[in-house]
Amino acid sequence: MTNDPEHSRIERILAGEEHLYAEMVDKHKSYAYTIAQKILQNRPEAEEATQDAFIKAYHHLKGFNRQSKFSTWLYRIVFNTAISYKRKNRQQFQSLENTFVEYRAEGEGMLEKTDRRKYLNLAMAKLNEADRAALTLFYLEEFSLEEIAEITGMQANTAKVRIHRARQRLADELKNLLNHEALTL
Amino acid sequence: MKEISQSLDDMLSDYLEGNLTKADNEKIERGLKENRAWQVRYEELKRVHSLLAQTAIEHPSKNFTASVMSKLSQYQAPRDFPLRNSILLLMGVLVAIGITTFLLAGGAYDNSNTSIDLNQLAIPKNITKTPLPSFEFSGKTIVNGVIILNLAIAWILLDRAILKPFFQKRIQAGH
Repeated sequence: MTNDPEHSRIERILAGEEHLYAEMVDKHKSYAYTIAQKILQNRPEAEEATQDAFIKAYHHLKGFNRQSKFSTWLYRIVFNTAISYKRKNRQQFQSLENTFVEYRAEGEGMLEKTDRRKYLNLAMAKLNEADRAALTLFYLEEFSLEEIAEITGMQANTAKVRIHRARQRLADELKNLLNHEALTL
Repeated sequence: MKEISQSLDDMLSDYLEGNLTKADNEKIERGLKENRAWQVRYEELKRVHSLLAQTAIEHPSKNFTASVMSKLSQYQAPRDFPLRNSILLLMGVLVAIGITTFLLAGGAYDNSNTSIDLNQLAIPKNITKTPLPSFEFSGKTIVNGVIILNLAIAWILLDRAILKPFFQKRIQAGH
């Protein structure tokens, strides 16, 4: 069992102090939303999925076994909820190809700072959801590899390899998108 | 064709993160000085790494927490068994009961009696000194038992998968 200070707050919530859950939501909502947003790449849907995840977590607090940090457990619920939203609504998402054509028409030849982010986002959209989430968690620098693995449901070694391979694929995608201009970024 | 092997790509990734042993580190640094393809790949990875390092936390809407707190009581646990499947299963059970009852009423099982005589088993005579019993089975009784079992299953299905969720939904809607 970990010495997560949030465990005592959970005890109080389970004892009936429901309002304390608002403090936990406040504390974790941004990280949770960031994970959902990276997976879904759609703000309203990410917000809905994150809310759903918090509600699910509340109703399953009793089942939280305190073996890990509350945040790890919560973000795993967020990850799974966002993945299931993605699967449910896959057909509603804008295809990357359409986005790419639209973007090239307005921004060809320009590599300003905001363009770098746009190209990175376009390349990120070509990765699968789990890879995007793993990369995001890694670069937010909040979690260890073991925790990232727990959140995404992988082994720690697999998570490390997955992050490496996702970054390598991202470099390849960026290179393709920029027609070999990546080095001039 | 890719000029860099997967294992070298992985080593360059580890180098980027500072996770290599001293010997491997030196090997990569030597390669980066001498090999143009390595340099190009390393620069690609480094630039992606620095772009990703700018990954920022995103924030949900201002009323996010209030919205979550207001929805806490509206939560419905996911159904173990979807309603459509429950109805189909219930219909299947009822159809099976109907057919069996129809056959039973028509006398299809009236003459289907059988018996098991344990004396017919090939058991050495020195083990059994007295004759073994024989059991009579009436097909009609067995089918009646099957119908009662199916009725019980149908009732449980109707209660757990259809009626209970239906009334729970109505109670929640009433609040």
